[in-house]
Amino acid sequence: MNVRIAGATRLALSLAVAAALCSGAARAADPIVLQWQTANLTESQYEPIWKKTIAEFEAANPGIKVEPVLVARKDHWTKFVAAAQAKQAPCIVSVDLTTAAYNGYLLSLDKFWNAEPASFRSAWNPDILTAAKWKGQLYGLPIWGGTYGEIYNRDLVVKAGLDPAHPPKNFDEYIAWGRKLTGDDHWAMAVLGGKTDTTTRVLLTWIWANGGEAFNADMTEATFAKNPKSLAAIKTYLGFARKGGIAAPAPTTTNYLEQTNLFAQQKIATMRNAYWSVAKVVGDNPALKGKLFATSNPANVPDAPTLATVTASSISASCKYPEAAWKFIKFDADRKWSIERAVVANWMPMRNDIADAPEIKADPMLAQFVAMGAHARSYPLPHPAWAEIAANDIVDAVQKALLDPDKTDQIFRELDAKVTKKLNDI
Amino acid sequence: MDLAPRQRQRLTGYLFVAPVALFLAAVVIVPLGSAVWTSLLRVRGLRSSFVGVANYATVLADETFWHGLARSAAFTASSVLLHVALGLALALLLAELRTARTALRIAFLTPWMVAPAVGATVWLWLLEPQFGVVNYLAQSAGLIGSPKAWLGEPLSAFASVVAVDVWRGVPFVMLLMLAGLQTVPQEQYEAAALDGANAWQRFRYVTWPNLRYLVVVATTLDVINTVRHYDIIGVMTGGGPASATEVLPVLLYNTAFRGNRFGEAAAIGVLLLAIVLALVVVYIRITRIDRDAGDAR
Amino acid sequence: MTPPSALRTVVLWAVALVALAVTLFPFYWMLNTSLKPATEVFASPPTFVSAHWSLDAYRTVLTDRPVGRYFVNSLVVALGTTALSVLLAALAAYGLTRFFPRGATPFVLFLLFTKMLPETLLIIPYFRLMSDLGLLNTYWALVLAYSSFALPFSVWMLVGFFRGIPREIDEAATIDGAGAWTTFVRVILPLARPGLVAVALFTFLIAWNSYVWALVLTTDASMYVLSVGIANMVGEYRVQWNELMAAAVIAALPVMVLYALLERHLVSAITAGAVKG
Repeated sequence: MNVRIAGATRLALSLAVAAALCSGAARAADPIVLQWQTANLTESQYEPIWKKTIAEFEAANPGIKVEPVLVARKDHWTKFVAAAQAKQAPCIVSVDLTTAAYNGYLLSLDKFWNAEPASFRSAWNPDILTAAKWKGQLYGLPIWGGTYGEIYNRDLVVKAGLDPAHPPKNFDEYIAWGRKLTGDDHWAMAVLGGKTDTTTRVLLTWIWANGGEAFNADMTEATFAKNPKSLAAIKTYLGFARKGGIAAPAPTTTNYLEQTNLFAQQKIATMRNAYWSVAKVVGDNPALKGKLFATSNPANVPDAPTLATVTASSISASCKYPEAAWKFIKFDADRKWSIERAVVANWMPMRNDIADAPEIKADPMLAQFVAMGAHARSYPLPHPAWAEIAANDIVDAVQKALLDPDKTDQIFRELDAKVTKKLNDI
Repeated sequence: MDLAPRQRQRLTGYLFVAPVALFLAAVVIVPLGSAVWTSLLRVRGLRSSFVGVANYATVLADETFWHGLARSAAFTASSVLLHVALGLALALLLAELRTARTALRIAFLTPWMVAPAVGATVWLWLLEPQFGVVNYLAQSAGLIGSPKAWLGEPLSAFASVVAVDVWRGVPFVMLLMLAGLQTVPQEQYEAAALDGANAWQRFRYVTWPNLRYLVVVATTLDVINTVRHYDIIGVMTGGGPASATEVLPVLLYNTAFRGNRFGEAAAIGVLLLAIVLALVVVYIRITRIDRDAGDAR
Repeated sequence: MTPPSALRTVVLWAVALVALAVTLFPFYWMLNTSLKPATEVFASPPTFVSAHWSLDAYRTVLTDRPVGRYFVNSLVVALGTTALSVLLAALAAYGLTRFFPRGATPFVLFLLFTKMLPETLLIIPYFRLMSDLGLLNTYWALVLAYSSFALPFSVWMLVGFFRGIPREIDEAATIDGAGAWTTFVRVILPLARPGLVAVALFTFLIAWNSYVWALVLTTDASMYVLSVGIANMVGEYRVQWNELMAAAVIAALPVMVLYALLERHLVSAITAGAVKG
């Protein structure tokens, strides 16, 4: 018996040693290996596209291999930072750009960008590029994004006796619709209050739709409570979750995932979301295909901006092969892949030269979101502490206000003070 | 002449112990030193500057730290208490049953074999407000009127993470207690039975004195493990709602990886370590006195 | 002991069954969910038994995701950790019990101290260390980290266990001319076998179930362990609960079988080791 155990021990040891040696040897023989880490690689609808992108890139560029780093969204930043701190970060990354650039984790792309011909550069509007800059330098190439709009379930709207041709245009009409769309075990919408920055994104769309501002122009002061229009919008929106309101219960644990689940299972009739949620919802419940329609956010002021997330590809400061990395970023930003991402994964293209592409035009809802994008502000907001402010501080205030609505004023006044301090502490 | 062999003896002893000591020094103490150093720096990404104890001052002046400390104390106290009480109760129950003992023991051990992160994910699904089975069962049994957002309100969120930690933590204590029960001399029970002792008296005067030392050990280990625990709360609430479950390890994680303030995070970590250390020293003191008194009796 | 009355037995069993139901329900639900088709997962009211149960989710997980590969990685890491820490712990326990009979309190306190460190505090420094040693993306990085978690408890348990082996046995071996090393390998280790098995089981579990370190220390998907592979299935944007639960079952089942087979060693070893020591 003891002989068997010793044998097993020896086997385990030699296995471990052999495995360690093997992986070491494989590494030494490789050509240039570029690691590529973005949170979206684990999204199922995107997987076939990125696999194809890598395969075609490697075929066109012998000697360069691209190694995807798969990581769950919630662990994406943790993993990146641990590696960046040891100067071992993957070469190509999509991360919170301002925060990463401020912390010295990213390489300025000005050199590469300026060396490109004007024909290449003209595919990106200056506004969109601004979202990828920190202190005047370009740190990422915008690849895709998402514009937030209001998405409705047509069947539920009709069933409630409402006319899909005339969706609500302002808060009052939205509330009127909301009342009719709410019943015993189904609701008009869901208020987002879970612990990710999606909560913040949707809150901002409501503030902007009421003509409010959450920050002053140079991001040195928070004005959630200071700006009366902001506070009024916050109260209206969070008020939907009060008892007898129009929102599904459990807002403090509701995020994108819970919201889309509710929508796919027809528990809610409308959701404030980006176009990619449609791919997710239809994936969950194929019966909803073709039964959805979208409008711009109901707003109390004309031309209210909505929110558009911008995801850019960057090169890590510690990357050993920046030229090769730029090659891949350019390849991935190509028209062809932008269109595929838009059609298959419902991610909005960032290039200005594909609105007329037949694939885009063939999808009316996609075209509609592209149009809404004209009035969008880019997100994340440009501040090094934004990631923490968006995912911690603002969410905390939203949760507190949802749990104790009577103290909303005070809670957001405290938020203003806390965030203003953070904005200036860099 | 007599000294040489004794010295050689010593040396041999050191040679046997050295691998573990060197190993732990390299793998634990080197990173710890680096972490303590970090707690004295203002870190902004790859730039850092020495600021002395400024991070400690910042952390100690911030109410979130004290809030986290209070949450940690509440979480650890309730979890450990329930682990030990239920673990002991289950062990006593199993010892009483005559049949299917092994099968039951294995069944009760299962939660301990699941990774905390995976177990927490399963519970997340069970507690889902709209589609979760817990709400369905509670509603069917008439315990709640409408679906409850277990993780959405401060009190029930805290109770939920404690409950999941208890679900996972009881088996290990049960295992230790079962082992302890086997060491209780059978004659003592027989003597107690002859004296006409009832079940409570048998426990009070035979089982408990024999188990007390083990309970002390189990509690110490459990306090150390629970106060540092991150996985279950990290997965289930991330510290929310409204910071109701933001225990110190979660605050540490959020400060480091959400806030990118590594200096302050390291300071929180060092303070947490100091607290655990103090707890353990005090605990060992108390129990040693207790034990010495017991020996003297 | 008093003869068991029928009523008493019934009450005890009732309590046991209730406790068992609470303990095992999450596993039943895990299994139930993993067997459902995606469309039925969100059915309300939820179905407890379904006519549509199938192994589809398992098939998807095993073919679309390299769960098999993750499984092998987990196994190598867990076995490597077990081998390394059992070896080191046995050496230390032998040294402590045989050569420092009056106890080695500072060393034991040092062990306890290493167990108190908050993991999150050490992640970045440990990552730097492994990166400097060129061990990122190797099994070694994980084996070394997990061994350091497991060692304090392992040494403590084995010290108790070795103390239970009468010193006369060593002395007899020494008189026969065996050196300390020979005595350790030939005499003590075989006698300590049950203790070693128990320590191995504890260590294996720690290595099999850890998450954060494996997440940070591996970037190459072919080096991922099961816990990381499973976590990657929980997107913020998409969770396939049936597939996730299937992967969780695949991760948990082997450990449960292993423990069911070796469980009797655990209690007896703790009895002999921790409790008496």
